[in-house]
Amino acid sequence: MAAGAPVAGDLNGLLALGAVVAVAAAVAALGRRVGIPTVPLYVLGGVVAGPSVAGAIGLPTVEPAELTTLAEVGVVLLLFFLGLEFSIDRLIAARRRLSGAAAVDLLVNFPVGVALGFLFGLGPLGAFLVGGIVYISSSAVITKSLVDLGWIADPEAEPVLGVLVAEDLVVAVYLALAGALVAGGSPVDALPRIAVALGFLGAVALAAQLLAPRLTPYLGTSDEDLVVRTLAVALVVAGLALSVGASEAVAGFFVGVGVGATPLHDRVADRIAPLRDAFAVVFFAWVGLNTDVVAVAAVAVPVLVAALVSGPTKVFSGAVGGRLYGLSPRRSLRTGLALVPRGEFSLIIAALATSSPDPLVSSVVPAFAVGYVLVLSFAGTVAMSEARRIERLVGLSPD
Amino acid sequence: MTVYESDLPGVGKKHEIELDGDERIVVVTHNTGKREVYRRADADADAEKLFELSDELARTVGTVLEGAYFQPVATDTIETMLGGDALIEWYDVPAGSELAGETIEEADVRQRTGASIIAVQHGADVVPNPDPGAGVHGGDTVVVMGSREEVERFHDTFIAGVGDDAADDTEDAADPN
Repeated sequence: MAAGAPVAGDLNGLLALGAVVAVAAAVAALGRRVGIPTVPLYVLGGVVAGPSVAGAIGLPTVEPAELTTLAEVGVVLLLFFLGLEFSIDRLIAARRRLSGAAAVDLLVNFPVGVALGFLFGLGPLGAFLVGGIVYISSSAVITKSLVDLGWIADPEAEPVLGVLVAEDLVVAVYLALAGALVAGGSPVDALPRIAVALGFLGAVALAAQLLAPRLTPYLGTSDEDLVVRTLAVALVVAGLALSVGASEAVAGFFVGVGVGATPLHDRVADRIAPLRDAFAVVFFAWVGLNTDVVAVAAVAVPVLVAALVSGPTKVFSGAVGGRLYGLSPRRSLRTGLALVPRGEFSLIIAALATSSPDPLVSSVVPAFAVGYVLVLSFAGTVAMSEARRIERLVGLSPD
Repeated sequence: MTVYESDLPGVGKKHEIELDGDERIVVVTHNTGKREVYRRADADADAEKLFELSDELARTVGTVLEGAYFQPVATDTIETMLGGDALIEWYDVPAGSELAGETIEEADVRQRTGASIIAVQHGADVVPNPDPGAGVHGGDTVVVMGSREEVERFHDTFIAGVGDDAADDTEDAADPN
Protein backbone atom coordinates (compact mmCIF):
# COMPACT_ATOMS: atom_id res chain seq x y z
CA MET A 1 0.00 0.00 0.00
CA ALA A 2 2.92 2.34 -0.51
CA ALA A 3 1.23 5.45 -1.75
CA GLY A 4 4.47 6.93 -3.03
CA ALA A 5 5.63 10.45 -2.43
CA PRO A 6 3.84 13.17 -4.40
CA VAL A 7 5.63 13.71 -7.68
CA ALA A 8 5.46 16.48 -10.23
CA GLY A 9 2.99 14.49 -12.29
CA ASP A 10 0.29 14.46 -9.62
CA LEU A 11 -3.11 15.83 -10.54
CA ASN A 12 -4.59 18.61 -8.47
CA GLY A 13 -7.44 17.72 -6.11
CA LEU A 14 -10.22 18.61 -8.48
CA LEU A 15 -8.70 16.73 -11.39
CA ALA A 16 -7.96 13.80 -9.10
CA LEU A 17 -11.60 13.57 -8.10
CA GLY A 18 -12.68 14.08 -11.70
CA ALA A 19 -10.36 11.31 -12.90
CA VAL A 20 -11.67 8.93 -10.26
CA VAL A 21 -15.31 9.66 -11.07
CA ALA A 22 -14.62 9.39 -14.81
CA VAL A 23 -12.92 6.03 -14.35
CA ALA A 24 -15.81 4.91 -12.14
CA ALA A 25 -18.36 5.90 -14.79
CA ALA A 26 -16.40 4.07 -17.48
CA VAL A 27 -15.95 0.86 -15.51
CA ALA A 28 -19.58 0.88 -14.40
CA ALA A 29 -20.66 1.05 -18.05
CA LEU A 30 -18.26 -1.75 -18.89
CA GLY A 31 -19.29 -3.85 -15.90
CA ARG A 32 -22.98 -3.56 -16.67
CA ARG A 33 -22.35 -4.95 -20.12
CA VAL A 34 -20.57 -8.07 -18.90
CA GLY A 35 -22.39 -8.51 -15.59
CA ILE A 36 -19.45 -7.88 -13.26
CA PRO A 37 -20.45 -6.16 -10.00
CA THR A 38 -19.34 -2.55 -9.90
CA VAL A 39 -17.71 -2.52 -6.44
CA PRO A 40 -14.54 -4.42 -7.48
CA LEU A 41 -14.48 -2.53 -10.77
CA TYR A 42 -14.32 0.80 -8.93
CA VAL A 43 -11.40 -0.57 -6.96
CA LEU A 44 -9.70 -1.66 -10.18
CA GLY A 45 -10.36 1.78 -11.63
CA GLY A 46 -8.55 3.27 -8.66
CA VAL A 47 -5.64 0.90 -9.16
CA VAL A 48 -5.37 1.95 -12.80
CA ALA A 49 -5.52 5.67 -12.01
CA GLY A 50 -3.09 5.34 -9.12
CA PRO A 51 0.66 5.37 -8.67
CA SER A 52 1.17 1.68 -9.29
CA VAL A 53 -0.20 1.62 -12.87
CA ALA A 54 -0.63 5.12 -14.29
CA GLY A 55 2.37 6.27 -12.25
CA ALA A 56 4.50 3.36 -13.38
CA ILE A 57 4.07 4.22 -17.05
CA GLY A 58 4.77 7.89 -16.49
CA LEU A 59 1.21 9.25 -16.62
CA PRO A 60 0.03 11.84 -14.13
CA THR A 61 -1.48 10.02 -11.17
CA VAL A 62 -4.06 10.67 -8.54
CA GLU A 63 -2.47 11.21 -5.16
CA PRO A 64 -4.60 9.16 -2.71
CA ALA A 65 -4.13 11.68 0.10
CA GLU A 66 -6.09 14.23 -1.94
CA LEU A 67 -9.15 12.01 -1.64
CA THR A 68 -8.77 10.60 1.85
CA THR A 69 -11.41 12.80 3.48
CA LEU A 70 -13.89 12.21 0.67
CA ALA A 71 -13.27 8.47 0.95
CA GLU A 72 -13.94 8.65 4.69
CA VAL A 73 -17.23 10.39 3.94
CA GLY A 74 -18.02 7.41 1.71
CA VAL A 75 -17.37 4.97 4.56
CA VAL A 76 -19.47 7.01 7.00
CA LEU A 77 -22.37 7.19 4.54
CA LEU A 78 -22.18 3.47 3.69
CA LEU A 79 -22.48 2.62 7.37
CA PHE A 80 -25.01 5.40 7.98
CA PHE A 81 -27.23 3.71 5.43
CA LEU A 82 -26.81 0.31 7.04
CA GLY A 83 -27.92 1.94 10.27
CA LEU A 84 -30.84 3.58 8.55
CA GLU A 85 -32.13 0.25 7.28
CA PHE A 86 -31.30 -1.51 10.51
CA SER A 87 -34.25 -2.13 12.76
CA ILE A 88 -33.65 -3.80 16.07
CA ASP A 89 -37.38 -4.55 16.33
CA ARG A 90 -37.37 -6.28 12.98
CA LEU A 91 -34.31 -8.30 13.94
CA ILE A 92 -35.93 -9.35 17.21
CA ALA A 93 -39.15 -10.25 15.39
CA ALA A 94 -37.23 -12.48 12.98
CA ARG A 95 -34.78 -13.88 15.51
CA ARG A 96 -36.41 -17.27 15.91
CA ARG A 97 -36.12 -18.06 12.21
CA LEU A 98 -32.92 -16.15 11.60
CA SER A 99 -30.75 -16.69 14.65
CA GLY A 100 -29.74 -20.17 13.49
CA ALA A 101 -28.69 -18.98 10.05
CA ALA A 102 -26.88 -15.94 11.45
CA ALA A 103 -25.09 -17.97 14.11
CA VAL A 104 -23.89 -20.62 11.65
CA ASP A 105 -22.70 -17.84 9.33
CA LEU A 106 -20.60 -16.26 12.09
CA LEU A 107 -19.39 -19.45 13.74
CA VAL A 108 -18.20 -21.01 10.47
CA ASN A 109 -16.76 -18.12 8.51
CA PHE A 110 -15.12 -15.95 11.15
CA PRO A 111 -13.02 -18.81 12.61
CA VAL A 112 -12.12 -19.94 9.08
CA GLY A 113 -10.87 -16.43 8.36
CA VAL A 114 -8.90 -16.25 11.59
CA ALA A 115 -7.32 -19.64 10.84
CA LEU A 116 -6.37 -18.46 7.35
CA GLY A 117 -4.82 -15.32 8.86
CA PHE A 118 -2.64 -17.42 11.17
CA LEU A 119 -1.81 -19.78 8.32
CA PHE A 120 -0.50 -16.81 6.31
CA GLY A 121 1.62 -15.77 9.29
CA LEU A 122 -0.12 -12.45 9.93
CA GLY A 123 -0.09 -12.68 13.73
CA PRO A 124 -3.05 -12.33 16.09
CA LEU A 125 -4.17 -8.87 14.93
CA GLY A 126 -3.76 -9.75 11.25
CA ALA A 127 -5.72 -12.96 11.82
CA PHE A 128 -8.47 -11.06 13.61
CA LEU A 129 -8.73 -8.67 10.63
CA VAL A 130 -8.69 -11.48 8.04
CA GLY A 131 -11.45 -13.12 10.10
CA GLY A 132 -13.62 -10.07 9.58
CA ILE A 133 -12.69 -9.73 5.90
CA VAL A 134 -13.65 -13.36 5.28
CA TYR A 135 -16.77 -13.30 7.45
CA ILE A 136 -18.60 -10.28 6.13
CA SER A 137 -20.56 -10.62 2.88
CA SER A 138 -21.26 -7.68 0.62
CA SER A 139 -24.72 -6.17 1.09
CA ALA A 140 -24.23 -3.94 -1.98
CA VAL A 141 -23.18 -6.68 -4.42
CA ILE A 142 -25.60 -9.29 -3.10
CA THR A 143 -28.68 -7.06 -2.93
CA LYS A 144 -28.06 -5.90 -6.49
CA SER A 145 -27.63 -9.46 -7.75
CA LEU A 146 -30.79 -10.60 -5.97
CA VAL A 147 -32.77 -7.87 -7.72
CA ASP A 148 -31.07 -8.33 -11.11
CA LEU A 149 -31.57 -12.10 -11.16
CA GLY A 150 -35.11 -11.96 -9.80
CA TRP A 151 -34.20 -14.02 -6.72
CA ILE A 152 -35.67 -11.19 -4.69
CA ALA A 153 -39.11 -12.70 -5.37
CA ASP A 154 -38.01 -16.19 -4.31
CA PRO A 155 -38.05 -17.62 -0.77
CA GLU A 156 -34.24 -17.42 -0.40
CA ALA A 157 -34.39 -13.60 -0.41
CA GLU A 158 -35.55 -13.48 3.22
CA PRO A 159 -32.78 -15.56 4.82
CA VAL A 160 -30.13 -13.95 2.58
CA LEU A 161 -31.13 -10.39 3.46
CA GLY A 162 -31.77 -11.41 7.05
CA VAL A 163 -28.25 -12.83 7.41
CA LEU A 164 -26.85 -9.64 5.87
CA VAL A 165 -28.69 -7.54 8.48
CA ALA A 166 -27.38 -9.76 11.28
CA GLU A 167 -23.87 -9.39 9.82
CA ASP A 168 -24.32 -5.60 9.89
CA LEU A 169 -24.89 -5.71 13.62
CA VAL A 170 -21.89 -7.98 14.15
CA VAL A 171 -19.70 -5.79 11.97
CA ALA A 172 -20.66 -2.68 13.96
CA VAL A 173 -19.36 -4.35 17.12
CA TYR A 174 -16.42 -5.84 15.23
CA LEU A 175 -15.31 -2.53 13.70
CA ALA A 176 -15.54 -0.84 17.07
CA LEU A 177 -13.16 -3.44 18.49
CA ALA A 178 -10.92 -3.65 15.43
CA GLY A 179 -10.61 0.14 15.27
CA ALA A 180 -9.38 0.24 18.84
CA LEU A 181 -7.04 -2.76 18.45
CA VAL A 182 -5.44 -1.62 15.19
CA ALA A 183 -4.16 1.59 16.77
CA GLY A 184 -1.64 -0.76 18.33
CA GLY A 185 0.52 -0.76 21.39
CA SER A 186 0.53 -3.52 23.93
CA PRO A 187 -2.95 -4.60 25.02
CA VAL A 188 -2.38 -3.09 28.47
CA ASP A 189 -1.34 0.31 27.07
CA ALA A 190 -4.21 0.18 24.63
CA LEU A 191 -6.77 -0.58 27.29
CA PRO A 192 -7.66 3.01 28.31
CA ARG A 193 -7.86 4.03 24.67
CA ILE A 194 -10.07 1.06 23.84
CA ALA A 195 -12.27 1.97 26.79
CA VAL A 196 -12.59 5.58 25.59
CA ALA A 197 -13.36 4.49 22.02
CA LEU A 198 -15.98 1.95 23.05
CA GLY A 199 -17.40 4.39 25.61
CA PHE A 200 -17.79 7.04 22.92
CA LEU A 201 -19.55 4.62 20.56
CA GLY A 202 -21.76 3.42 23.39
CA ALA A 203 -22.72 7.02 24.13
CA VAL A 204 -23.55 7.60 20.45
CA ALA A 205 -25.67 4.44 20.36
CA LEU A 206 -27.49 5.49 23.53
CA ALA A 207 -28.02 9.02 22.22
CA ALA A 208 -29.39 7.60 18.97
CA GLN A 209 -31.85 5.53 20.94
CA LEU A 210 -32.96 8.25 23.35
CA LEU A 211 -32.61 11.53 21.52
CA ALA A 212 -33.39 10.69 17.92
CA PRO A 213 -37.19 10.76 18.13
CA ARG A 214 -37.01 14.18 19.79
CA LEU A 215 -34.58 15.53 17.21
CA THR A 216 -36.96 14.89 14.33
CA PRO A 217 -38.43 18.42 14.24
CA TYR A 218 -34.93 19.93 14.06
CA LEU A 219 -33.82 17.95 11.03
CA GLY A 220 -35.82 20.20 8.84
CA THR A 221 -38.91 20.68 6.83
CA SER A 222 -37.43 21.21 3.38
CA ASP A 223 -35.46 18.51 1.62
CA GLU A 224 -32.46 20.80 1.44
CA ASP A 225 -32.42 21.33 5.21
CA LEU A 226 -32.87 17.63 5.73
CA VAL A 227 -29.84 16.70 3.63
CA VAL A 228 -27.58 19.40 5.03
CA ARG A 229 -28.48 18.80 8.67
CA THR A 230 -28.38 15.00 8.47
CA LEU A 231 -24.99 15.20 6.81
CA ALA A 232 -23.82 17.66 9.46
CA VAL A 233 -24.84 15.34 12.32
CA ALA A 234 -23.34 12.25 10.68
CA LEU A 235 -20.02 13.91 9.83
CA VAL A 236 -19.59 15.71 13.17
CA VAL A 237 -20.29 12.56 15.17
CA ALA A 238 -18.06 10.44 12.90
CA GLY A 239 -15.31 13.04 13.04
CA LEU A 240 -15.48 13.20 16.84
CA ALA A 241 -15.25 9.41 16.88
CA LEU A 242 -12.08 9.55 14.81
CA SER A 243 -10.56 12.14 17.09
CA VAL A 244 -11.05 9.96 20.19
CA GLY A 245 -9.70 6.93 18.33
CA ALA A 246 -13.07 5.26 17.76
CA SER A 247 -14.36 3.90 14.48
CA GLU A 248 -15.94 6.67 12.40
CA ALA A 249 -17.81 4.00 10.45
CA VAL A 250 -19.53 2.65 13.55
CA ALA A 251 -20.39 6.18 14.69
CA GLY A 252 -22.01 6.71 11.29
CA PHE A 253 -23.89 3.44 11.73
CA PHE A 254 -25.42 4.55 15.04
CA VAL A 255 -26.36 7.97 13.67
CA GLY A 256 -28.14 6.07 10.89
CA VAL A 257 -29.93 3.87 13.44
CA GLY A 258 -31.10 7.01 15.23
CA VAL A 259 -32.39 8.71 12.10
CA GLY A 260 -33.90 5.43 10.92
CA ALA A 261 -36.07 5.31 14.02
CA THR A 262 -37.70 8.65 13.18
CA PRO A 263 -40.55 9.18 10.74
CA LEU A 264 -38.03 10.92 8.47
CA HIS A 265 -36.53 7.55 7.57
CA ASP A 266 -37.92 7.30 4.03
CA ARG A 267 -37.16 10.88 3.05
CA VAL A 268 -33.63 10.72 4.38
CA ALA A 269 -33.04 7.43 2.56
CA ASP A 270 -34.35 8.99 -0.64
CA ARG A 271 -32.26 12.14 -0.42
CA ILE A 272 -29.00 10.74 0.94
CA ALA A 273 -28.81 7.67 -1.31
CA PRO A 274 -27.30 9.56 -4.27
CA LEU A 275 -24.72 11.14 -1.96
CA ARG A 276 -23.82 7.74 -0.56
CA ASP A 277 -23.45 6.30 -4.05
CA ALA A 278 -21.15 9.13 -5.11
CA PHE A 279 -18.92 9.04 -2.03
CA ALA A 280 -18.87 5.25 -1.92
CA VAL A 281 -17.40 5.30 -5.43
CA VAL A 282 -14.68 7.64 -4.19
CA PHE A 283 -14.00 5.28 -1.28
CA PHE A 284 -13.71 2.18 -3.51
CA ALA A 285 -11.46 4.00 -5.96
CA TRP A 286 -9.41 5.36 -3.07
CA VAL A 287 -8.82 1.79 -1.87
CA GLY A 288 -7.59 1.05 -5.39
CA LEU A 289 -5.35 4.12 -5.43
CA ASN A 290 -3.72 2.90 -2.22
CA THR A 291 -3.23 -0.56 -3.62
CA ASP A 292 0.18 -1.58 -4.79
CA VAL A 293 -0.22 -4.15 -7.58
CA VAL A 294 3.12 -5.68 -6.69
CA ALA A 295 1.90 -6.22 -3.12
CA VAL A 296 -1.33 -7.82 -4.38
CA ALA A 297 0.62 -10.06 -6.75
CA ALA A 298 2.81 -11.07 -3.82
CA VAL A 299 -0.23 -12.33 -1.89
CA ALA A 300 -1.81 -14.04 -4.91
CA VAL A 301 -1.36 -17.50 -3.41
CA PRO A 302 -2.91 -16.64 -0.02
CA VAL A 303 -5.77 -14.88 -1.83
CA LEU A 304 -6.51 -17.93 -3.97
CA VAL A 305 -6.21 -20.31 -1.03
CA ALA A 306 -8.55 -18.10 1.01
CA ALA A 307 -11.04 -17.85 -1.87
CA LEU A 308 -10.98 -21.62 -2.45
CA VAL A 309 -11.61 -22.28 1.24
CA SER A 310 -13.94 -19.48 2.26
CA GLY A 311 -16.05 -19.37 -0.89
CA PRO A 312 -17.25 -22.92 -0.23
CA THR A 313 -17.56 -22.36 3.55
CA LYS A 314 -19.98 -19.50 2.83
CA VAL A 315 -21.99 -21.74 0.53
CA PHE A 316 -22.01 -24.35 3.28
CA SER A 317 -22.96 -22.00 6.12
CA GLY A 318 -25.56 -20.28 3.94
CA ALA A 319 -27.06 -23.60 2.87
CA VAL A 320 -27.24 -24.81 6.47
CA GLY A 321 -28.82 -21.45 7.33
CA GLY A 322 -31.35 -21.91 4.55
CA ARG A 323 -32.28 -25.35 5.90
CA LEU A 324 -32.62 -23.92 9.42
CA TYR A 325 -34.85 -21.24 7.91
CA GLY A 326 -37.05 -24.01 6.53
CA LEU A 327 -36.15 -23.87 2.84
CA SER A 328 -35.88 -26.79 0.46
CA PRO A 329 -32.38 -28.13 -0.34
CA ARG A 330 -32.30 -26.33 -3.70
CA ARG A 331 -33.37 -23.00 -2.15
CA SER A 332 -30.85 -23.51 0.65
CA LEU A 333 -28.06 -24.01 -1.85
CA ARG A 334 -29.08 -20.72 -3.46
CA THR A 335 -29.01 -19.01 -0.08
CA GLY A 336 -25.41 -20.20 0.25
CA LEU A 337 -24.40 -19.15 -3.26
CA ALA A 338 -25.94 -15.71 -2.78
CA LEU A 339 -23.88 -15.03 0.36
CA VAL A 340 -20.49 -15.69 -1.30
CA PRO A 341 -19.68 -12.18 -2.64
CA ARG A 342 -17.53 -10.09 -0.29
CA GLY A 343 -17.18 -6.41 -0.90
CA GLU A 344 -17.47 -3.04 0.77
CA PHE A 345 -17.11 -4.13 4.40
CA SER A 346 -14.04 -6.23 3.72
CA LEU A 347 -12.57 -3.13 2.09
CA ILE A 348 -13.50 -0.97 5.08
CA ILE A 349 -11.61 -3.43 7.28
CA ALA A 350 -8.71 -3.22 4.83
CA ALA A 351 -8.70 0.57 5.04
CA LEU A 352 -8.66 0.26 8.82
CA ALA A 353 -5.66 -2.07 8.63
CA THR A 354 -3.57 0.54 6.78
CA SER A 355 -3.42 2.63 9.95
CA SER A 356 -1.78 -0.16 11.95
CA PRO A 357 1.79 0.56 13.11
CA ASP A 358 2.65 -3.09 12.45
CA PRO A 359 4.06 -3.05 8.89
CA LEU A 360 2.98 -6.63 8.26
CA VAL A 361 -0.63 -5.75 9.05
CA SER A 362 -0.64 -2.35 7.35
CA SER A 363 0.76 -3.63 4.05
CA VAL A 364 -0.17 -7.28 3.67
CA VAL A 365 -3.73 -7.27 5.04
CA PRO A 366 -5.02 -4.49 2.72
CA ALA A 367 -3.38 -6.04 -0.34
CA PHE A 368 -4.88 -9.39 0.63
CA ALA A 369 -8.32 -7.84 1.13
CA VAL A 370 -8.30 -6.13 -2.26
CA GLY A 371 -7.30 -9.30 -4.07
CA TYR A 372 -9.77 -11.36 -2.05
CA VAL A 373 -12.67 -8.99 -2.73
CA LEU A 374 -11.85 -8.88 -6.45
CA VAL A 375 -11.88 -12.67 -6.67
CA LEU A 376 -14.89 -13.43 -4.49
CA SER A 377 -17.19 -10.61 -5.54
CA PHE A 378 -16.71 -11.78 -9.09
CA ALA A 379 -16.82 -15.52 -8.38
CA GLY A 380 -19.85 -15.12 -6.12
CA THR A 381 -21.76 -13.15 -8.71
CA VAL A 382 -20.93 -15.70 -11.40
CA ALA A 383 -21.99 -18.52 -9.07
CA MET A 384 -25.36 -16.83 -8.61
CA SER A 385 -25.99 -16.36 -12.32
CA GLU A 386 -24.87 -19.96 -12.99
CA ALA A 387 -26.99 -21.34 -10.14
CA ARG A 388 -29.03 -23.58 -12.43
CA ARG A 389 -25.92 -25.31 -13.72
CA ILE A 390 -24.57 -25.71 -10.19
CA GLU A 391 -27.87 -27.17 -9.03
CA ARG A 392 -27.78 -29.69 -11.86
CA LEU A 393 -24.17 -30.51 -10.97
CA VAL A 394 -25.08 -31.41 -7.40
CA GLY A 395 -28.31 -33.13 -8.38
CA LEU A 396 -30.74 -30.54 -7.05
CA SER A 397 -32.18 -29.50 -10.38
CA PRO A 398 -35.93 -28.80 -10.38
CA ASP A 399 -36.51 -30.51 -13.75
CA MET B 1 -56.84 -16.62 -0.61
CA THR B 2 -53.93 -15.67 1.57
CA VAL B 3 -51.55 -12.75 1.21
CA TYR B 4 -48.09 -13.17 2.74
CA GLU B 5 -46.05 -10.11 3.58
CA SER B 6 -42.36 -10.02 4.34
CA ASP B 7 -39.65 -7.40 4.79
CA LEU B 8 -36.72 -7.18 2.41
CA PRO B 9 -34.22 -5.05 4.37
CA GLY B 10 -32.47 -2.58 2.09
CA VAL B 11 -34.84 -3.36 -0.77
CA GLY B 12 -38.44 -2.93 0.37
CA LYS B 13 -41.34 -5.27 0.95
CA LYS B 14 -42.65 -8.42 -0.64
CA HIS B 15 -46.25 -9.56 -0.90
CA GLU B 16 -47.18 -13.00 -2.13
CA ILE B 17 -50.75 -13.63 -3.18
CA GLU B 18 -51.95 -17.20 -3.38
CA LEU B 19 -53.78 -18.07 -6.57
CA ASP B 20 -55.25 -21.46 -7.48
CA GLY B 21 -53.21 -24.32 -6.12
CA ASP B 22 -49.58 -23.48 -5.47
CA GLU B 23 -49.35 -20.66 -7.95
CA ARG B 24 -48.52 -17.28 -6.52
CA ILE B 25 -48.26 -13.70 -7.65
CA VAL B 26 -45.27 -12.02 -6.00
CA VAL B 27 -45.16 -8.24 -5.75
CA VAL B 28 -41.85 -6.67 -4.72
CA THR B 29 -42.28 -3.04 -3.66
CA HIS B 30 -38.92 -1.29 -3.70
CA ASN B 31 -38.14 1.52 -1.28
CA THR B 32 -37.88 3.73 -4.36
CA GLY B 33 -41.55 3.03 -5.08
CA LYS B 34 -40.89 0.77 -8.04
CA ARG B 35 -43.07 -2.38 -8.13
CA GLU B 36 -41.93 -5.62 -9.68
CA VAL B 37 -44.55 -8.25 -10.32
CA TYR B 38 -43.54 -11.91 -10.55
CA ARG B 39 -45.42 -15.14 -11.02
CA ARG B 40 -44.39 -18.37 -9.36
CA ALA B 41 -45.95 -21.48 -10.90
CA ASP B 42 -45.51 -23.70 -7.84
CA ALA B 43 -43.77 -23.76 -4.49
CA ASP B 44 -40.39 -24.86 -5.82
CA ALA B 45 -40.39 -22.98 -9.12
CA ASP B 46 -38.30 -19.86 -9.65
CA ALA B 47 -40.31 -16.68 -9.86
CA GLU B 48 -40.66 -15.31 -13.38
CA LYS B 49 -40.79 -11.57 -13.70
CA LEU B 50 -43.91 -10.37 -15.48
CA PHE B 51 -43.47 -6.59 -15.48
CA GLU B 52 -42.46 -3.60 -13.43
CA LEU B 53 -44.25 -0.34 -12.77
CA SER B 54 -43.36 3.07 -11.38
CA ASP B 55 -45.07 4.07 -8.15
CA GLU B 56 -47.61 6.26 -9.91
CA LEU B 57 -48.41 3.71 -12.61
CA ALA B 58 -48.73 0.96 -10.04
CA ARG B 59 -51.36 2.94 -8.13
CA THR B 60 -53.37 3.63 -11.27
CA VAL B 61 -53.18 0.03 -12.46
CA GLY B 62 -54.05 -1.15 -8.96
CA THR B 63 -57.15 1.02 -8.86
CA VAL B 64 -58.26 -0.23 -12.25
CA LEU B 65 -57.80 -3.83 -11.11
CA GLU B 66 -59.75 -3.06 -7.98
CA GLY B 67 -62.67 -2.03 -10.17
CA ALA B 68 -63.07 1.23 -8.35
CA TYR B 69 -61.65 3.39 -11.04
CA PHE B 70 -63.66 4.40 -14.03
CA GLN B 71 -63.18 7.79 -15.53
CA PRO B 72 -64.99 8.47 -18.79
CA VAL B 73 -63.32 11.18 -20.79
CA ALA B 74 -66.60 13.09 -20.97
CA THR B 75 -66.91 13.77 -17.24
CA ASP B 76 -64.52 14.93 -14.61
CA THR B 77 -66.08 12.90 -11.84
CA ILE B 78 -64.99 9.57 -10.53
CA GLU B 79 -67.59 6.88 -10.43
CA THR B 80 -67.67 3.22 -9.80
CA MET B 81 -69.57 1.27 -12.39
CA LEU B 82 -71.36 -1.80 -11.21
CA GLY B 83 -72.18 -3.15 -14.65
CA GLY B 84 -75.30 -2.46 -16.60
CA ASP B 85 -76.35 1.11 -15.95
CA ALA B 86 -75.82 1.10 -12.20
CA LEU B 87 -73.16 3.21 -10.62
CA ILE B 88 -71.98 4.48 -7.26
CA GLU B 89 -71.10 8.11 -6.72
CA TRP B 90 -69.66 10.07 -3.80
CA TYR B 91 -70.90 13.56 -2.99
CA ASP B 92 -70.06 16.14 -0.33
CA VAL B 93 -73.33 17.61 0.89
CA PRO B 94 -73.18 21.43 0.68
CA ALA B 95 -74.43 23.36 3.72
CA GLY B 96 -77.27 24.86 1.70
CA SER B 97 -78.53 21.55 0.34
CA GLU B 98 -82.12 20.52 0.97
CA LEU B 99 -80.61 17.36 2.38
CA ALA B 100 -78.53 19.14 5.03
CA GLY B 101 -80.08 18.90 8.47
CA GLU B 102 -82.79 16.49 7.27
CA THR B 103 -83.20 12.78 7.59
CA ILE B 104 -83.15 10.70 4.45
CA GLU B 105 -86.87 10.10 4.92
CA GLU B 106 -87.68 13.80 5.33
CA ALA B 107 -85.75 14.71 2.21
CA ASP B 108 -87.66 12.01 0.37
CA VAL B 109 -84.55 11.02 -1.53
CA ARG B 110 -85.84 7.78 -2.97
CA GLN B 111 -89.17 9.18 -4.18
CA ARG B 112 -87.74 12.35 -5.68
CA THR B 113 -84.67 10.96 -7.42
CA GLY B 114 -84.89 7.16 -7.50
CA ALA B 115 -81.35 6.93 -6.12
CA SER B 116 -80.50 5.39 -2.75
CA ILE B 117 -78.08 6.65 -0.15
CA ILE B 118 -76.01 3.59 0.75
CA ALA B 119 -73.62 5.24 3.22
CA VAL B 120 -73.17 8.50 5.07
CA GLN B 121 -69.81 9.69 6.27
CA HIS B 122 -69.93 12.25 9.06
CA GLY B 123 -66.43 13.30 10.05
CA ALA B 124 -64.62 10.10 10.87
CA ASP B 125 -67.82 8.11 11.37
CA VAL B 126 -69.23 6.11 8.52
CA VAL B 127 -72.81 4.84 8.66
CA PRO B 128 -73.25 2.06 6.13
CA ASN B 129 -76.82 1.17 5.08
CA PRO B 130 -78.34 4.16 6.91
CA ASP B 131 -81.98 3.70 7.86
CA PRO B 132 -84.49 6.26 6.57
CA GLY B 133 -84.43 8.09 9.89
CA ALA B 134 -80.67 8.76 9.65
CA GLY B 135 -79.74 12.43 9.56
CA VAL B 136 -77.46 14.06 7.01
CA HIS B 137 -75.56 17.25 7.76
CA GLY B 138 -73.83 19.84 5.63
CA GLY B 139 -70.25 18.73 5.00
CA ASP B 140 -71.10 15.02 5.23
CA THR B 141 -70.17 12.73 2.39
CA VAL B 142 -72.96 10.59 1.01
CA VAL B 143 -72.48 7.55 -1.17
CA VAL B 144 -75.30 7.23 -3.66
CA MET B 145 -76.26 4.27 -5.81
CA GLY B 146 -78.65 4.15 -8.71
CA SER B 147 -78.90 4.26 -12.47
CA ARG B 148 -76.92 6.99 -14.16
CA GLU B 149 -80.15 8.97 -14.62
CA GLU B 150 -81.14 8.59 -10.97
CA VAL B 151 -77.72 9.58 -9.70
CA GLU B 152 -77.72 12.62 -11.98
CA ARG B 153 -81.14 13.56 -10.66
CA PHE B 154 -79.84 13.24 -7.10
CA HIS B 155 -76.94 15.50 -8.02
CA ASP B 156 -79.24 18.11 -9.59
CA THR B 157 -81.67 18.05 -6.67
CA PHE B 158 -79.43 18.03 -3.64
CA ILE B 159 -75.92 18.94 -4.67
CA ALA B 160 -75.66 21.23 -7.68
CA GLY B 161 -75.95 24.97 -7.31
CA VAL B 162 -76.97 25.09 -3.69
CA GLY B 163 -73.95 25.57 -1.49
CA ASP B 164 -71.46 28.41 -1.64
CA ASP B 165 -68.53 26.07 -2.07
CA ALA B 166 -70.59 23.75 -4.27
CA ALA B 167 -68.27 20.89 -3.58
CA ASP B 168 -70.11 18.47 -5.78
CA ASP B 169 -67.52 15.78 -5.95
CA THR B 170 -65.30 14.37 -3.36
CA GLU B 171 -61.66 14.53 -4.02
CA ASP B 172 -60.81 12.54 -0.99
CA ALA B 173 -63.20 9.64 -0.99
CA ALA B 174 -62.67 8.19 -4.41
CA ASP B 175 -59.57 9.83 -5.78
CA PRO B 176 -57.19 7.11 -6.90
CA ASN B 177 -54.20 9.02 -5.62
